Amino acid sequence: MLRNIVLKTLRDRRRSLLLWGLGLVALAAMMIAFYPVIREATFISEYLESFPEEFMALFAGEITDYASPEGYLNGELFFLMYPLLMMVFAIGFGSGAIAGEEESRTLDLLLSNPLNRWRLVLEKFTAMIVCTLMLTIVFWATLAIGGAIIDMGLNLLRLAAVCFSGFLLAIAYGSVALAVGCARGKRGVSIGVAGALGVYGYMLNALAPLIDWLEPFQVASPFYYYIDANPLSKGLDPVHTAVLIGISVVFLGIAIVTFERRDLAV
Amino acid sequence: MTDNDHIIHTEGLTKLYGKQRGILDIDLDIERGEVFGYLGPNGAGKTTTIRTLLHFLFPTRGRASIFGLDIRQRSLETRRRIGYLPGELEVYDNLTGAELLEFLSHLRGGVDWQYVKELAARLDYDLSQRIKTLSHGNRQKVGLIQAFMNKPELLILDEPTIGLDPLMQQEFYRLIGEVKAEGRTVFLSSHIMPEVERVCDRVAIIREGRLIAVEDIDVLKARAIRRLEIHFATPVSPEQFSNIAGVRDVQVHDDVLTCTVAGELDSLVKAAAQYQVVNVISHEPSMEEIFLAYYNQEGDGAA
Repeated sequence: MLRNIVLKTLRDRRRSLLLWGLGLVALAAMMIAFYPVIREATFISEYLESFPEEFMALFAGEITDYASPEGYLNGELFFLMYPLLMMVFAIGFGSGAIAGEEESRTLDLLLSNPLNRWRLVLEKFTAMIVCTLMLTIVFWATLAIGGAIIDMGLNLLRLAAVCFSGFLLAIAYGSVALAVGCARGKRGVSIGVAGALGVYGYMLNALAPLIDWLEPFQVASPFYYYIDANPLSKGLDPVHTAVLIGISVVFLGIAIVTFERRDLAV
Repeated sequence: MTDNDHIIHTEGLTKLYGKQRGILDIDLDIERGEVFGYLGPNGAGKTTTIRTLLHFLFPTRGRASIFGLDIRQRSLETRRRIGYLPGELEVYDNLTGAELLEFLSHLRGGVDWQYVKELAARLDYDLSQRIKTLSHGNRQKVGLIQAFMNKPELLILDEPTIGLDPLMQQEFYRLIGEVKAEGRTVFLSSHIMPEVERVCDRVAIIREGRLIAVEDIDVLKARAIRRLEIHFATPVSPEQFSNIAGVRDVQVHDDVLTCTVAGELDSLVKAAAQYQVVNVISHEPSMEEIFLAYYNQEGDGAA
């Protein structure tokens, strides 16, 4: 596990990955376990649908057919909980990738080796992708298995589509965190900036459909490209997917360029 | 390339930080096979110079090359041939020493593990210990091992003996001697005069970001000021000592003489030998005293 920086980073993260994986499994299992109650007791979904649209929109998006498996999972997991958790994980990873090494003062020794700075950023980025993808797969598998047990009739490919879309969203924010960390070398600043952008992005996407003047700006939110095309029911939208990937690529580029050009802190 | 003969060559190398002082117009030429000391107090710019050479900091002005390769254009090639010990070393302390060295060796395309074991044995370092649990001195050892393990052409060591106990310092000096015997080059920074005297062929003295002097170690020793305290069996008078060349600040309290000596001790020792000497105490010069020696002599030269 010490053959290269990607593997070493995975090794360093193994405990954190295990805990995150367990947490996501618990969340997914709990939500699946609760679904039969919703399915039988239609009054619950009627009750939820009776809430003011504005209130529900904030936490569960535009709910249609809460009692259907897709409506339930979209409202309970994929609108808020899943993307938020994945985003938090990726931001934590991205901010620590370079700025974390710099703050713990291990960067000098690392870069005294024959290793280009761009190469280091790229390896850290790769490690972030691998770790986040592992969590995505664990989450997907838990839902798939749980769904099969309670006979939810989920389309596993579509389920994979929404999980993957959330993964891309997380990587986009993780890349922002990586870029800020590369540019400023401060982990706290990186978490702050990327986290704030994440909250703005979420709020913008959730509120825009309800507020006339805000609506045109919904396309500025990465969350829009993650969930608006409803990948759980319709599969991945190529354009929206490309936008999410594009954000990551742009910020990865910024990360490399800024990191190549600045002095490293002691 | 005219700087090909020099392992390290800098020309007006300058690094300015916002308000902090950096380094100003550093001109250095370090020859193949020499052990070069970079002497100065903490905060003088030693680490800044080293980190600029390694491409961690970008120079404000001036240029530098290592092995004749420009440090900005061809840093990667230079780092392939350098062993580096950072000042105030921090390493991944969740790893054991063996794991850290294995990781670093992969980054460098392999290492002779037999030599790693030999280094660890000589420095009395336990490779299997998690670095988190190690004392400062033992961390420094793993830092030294990784710097030496690839047998690099050039070793750049920032305050290498900090935290090492005297026995390990001796072993470190032996390692430096072997590197030199193999024709490899060492650039080491220090704020301790005796250490530099012990191992270096030449010394650059840096103060407040500027080079004050670059000297052969013998010249430096000759100029060095020492404070001496001589205890006699019977009271002596100061007059017999104050006229000796190089001896200053003579004070006598009963049977104890204190003075400072620049350069050779010979005349003073011979003068003292006329009496019964009980004890001689020599204080190594502080950095300040070394600087003073330089400023005074420069002043003398101008006068």
